[in-house]
Amino acid sequence: MAGKSKTIKVDYLARVEGEGALYIRYDDHGVHEVQLKIFEPPRFFEAFLRGRDYTEAPDITARICGICPVAYQMSALHAMENALGLVPTEPLRNLRRLLYCGEWIESHMLHISMLHAPDFLGYPNAVAMAKDHPEVVQRALEIKKTGNALVRLLGGREVHPINVRVGGFYRVPGLESFQALRPQLLEAHTLAELMTRWAAGLPFPHCEQSYECVALSNPSEYPMNEGRIVSNRGLDISVKDYEKHFREQQVPHSTALHSLLIERGAYLVGPMARYNLSYPQLSGEVRSLAEALGFRAPCNNPFKSIVVRCLEVLYALEEALRLIDTFQPPDEPYLAVEPREASGCAATEAPRGLLYHRYAMNEQGKITFAKIVAPTSQNQKTIEDDLRLMLPKFMHLPEQQLQGLCERAIRNYDPCISCSTHFLQLHLQHEPKRIS
Amino acid sequence: MSQKESPERWLLVSLGNRFRGDDGVGPYLLDKLRSQLKGSADFLESGNDMVTLVGHWKDRQVCLVDAILSDEQKSGELIRADGLADIIAPSNCTTSSHGFNLREAVDLGRVLGALPRRLEIFSICAENITSCDCLTAAVKLGAERAEQELLAFLQGDNGQS
Repeated sequence: MAGKSKTIKVDYLARVEGEGALYIRYDDHGVHEVQLKIFEPPRFFEAFLRGRDYTEAPDITARICGICPVAYQMSALHAMENALGLVPTEPLRNLRRLLYCGEWIESHMLHISMLHAPDFLGYPNAVAMAKDHPEVVQRALEIKKTGNALVRLLGGREVHPINVRVGGFYRVPGLESFQALRPQLLEAHTLAELMTRWAAGLPFPHCEQSYECVALSNPSEYPMNEGRIVSNRGLDISVKDYEKHFREQQVPHSTALHSLLIERGAYLVGPMARYNLSYPQLSGEVRSLAEALGFRAPCNNPFKSIVVRCLEVLYALEEALRLIDTFQPPDEPYLAVEPREASGCAATEAPRGLLYHRYAMNEQGKITFAKIVAPTSQNQKTIEDDLRLMLPKFMHLPEQQLQGLCERAIRNYDPCISCSTHFLQLHLQHEPKRIS
Repeated sequence: MSQKESPERWLLVSLGNRFRGDDGVGPYLLDKLRSQLKGSADFLESGNDMVTLVGHWKDRQVCLVDAILSDEQKSGELIRADGLADIIAPSNCTTSSHGFNLREAVDLGRVLGALPRRLEIFSICAENITSCDCLTAAVKLGAERAEQELLAFLQGDNGQS
């Protein structure tokens, strides 16, 4: 009601990982303040790493996230290898890509089916959705299980893999182990196509945004483990120059740092950014399906990211099959290296987007410096901007619906504030109408 | 987990984080039991990903080991529950990922017809869950008792009931 200040509180917004709150101050003239408040305590991983051996970084950083530990391991490995001048052989590189495929599959399917899809169908959670759409959840679980199987085979276990090390792997499974996964991958591929078609038919709010998309780019393949950092607005840099172009800043309402492109501001990382920048590198089959469904890149509606995630799952399954079919065992499971005083950095594409690591070590190989920039901190400012730009178009909605839409807008990003059970509180404050 | 899963064999699942003190009692027990039950049970260190459990436990006989925090029980104390017959205690629902916990995993399994045939929950009361990779003395002692009880249970029960 105009003339009265209103506050809406949602105590438990589930299906978001981490502890945070959202504050929006608006009136009939527009949105005045949007704050994605992250009050989860800092986790001090960069400090924990100091003094630890460089070989421990992949296993320690994997603990940052239970859903995308492979991403943390891969960025740490590549950064250490960059520091030590180690270049993995092609077979090792392919195995790492295969492991990453597994993680994309499992992480994306978790988000699509358990966290995001209920939003579109009006269910409070996946269990409620499963009562009416059991086939969707069953399909998703089957696909996710395939991703888990890949991670288990190469990583030694499904969660927090233990088989990767600087230089390669502790042990490389034999060809027969990979081939044994083929039937499961093929079945998952069929299911993923069905899932993509289903997701493309969901009702999407009209919400076209204008993003600076940032992702790794590699002319020969869809990006996972390496590439230059590029954007759709002309950025094209080597990973080593990341910190010359990106800056983290403290904001009062968040314990997580906001990352900005210097002199340009907010940017988008994640599946949509990758999709928009590397669409030609997707397989012909994935592109054909995307085009048939009317989802050709670029995609700038964040609500449609659910379809992009499905297409990335389909691609990851195809890529996993290709890597298995062309599997060449490495001569050695890992390349040996001696520590020395050095520093290095790397970025890889976590399911949620660009993940940057930089380390320095002393001559004994003890870590003296660590910097980790996670995808969610890079997207925080963009999430706030989405809300700021989106809200005026939906002011006509009843407050409860508007609130639901804000929650959905946050979930578009699959934000991973931390890896424990926490919830997000939403406060919408409607200010009195101003009389000009 | 073994590549040759058998519905007749027990699937032992641990929840919890090895690097969070007593929260690691589940993985600790799994390590101890793996060598003693080699070949006769399957093992899954699940961390906090409950969705994975739903994908694995359908029609299996599952024994789940987890740490819990309780104001009413002593550190190291073992609490057993039937996960299918009993209401799962809130203390067993604090481990989760993306807000999806054990109770929701059971609910989802029920909706999808993907429940385990049996779900035996062994919970050990934790004392310290800060960052470290060791158990407190009370929980270690409790883990030894739990190990014996688990062994007796699994070896005395062929899972055919």
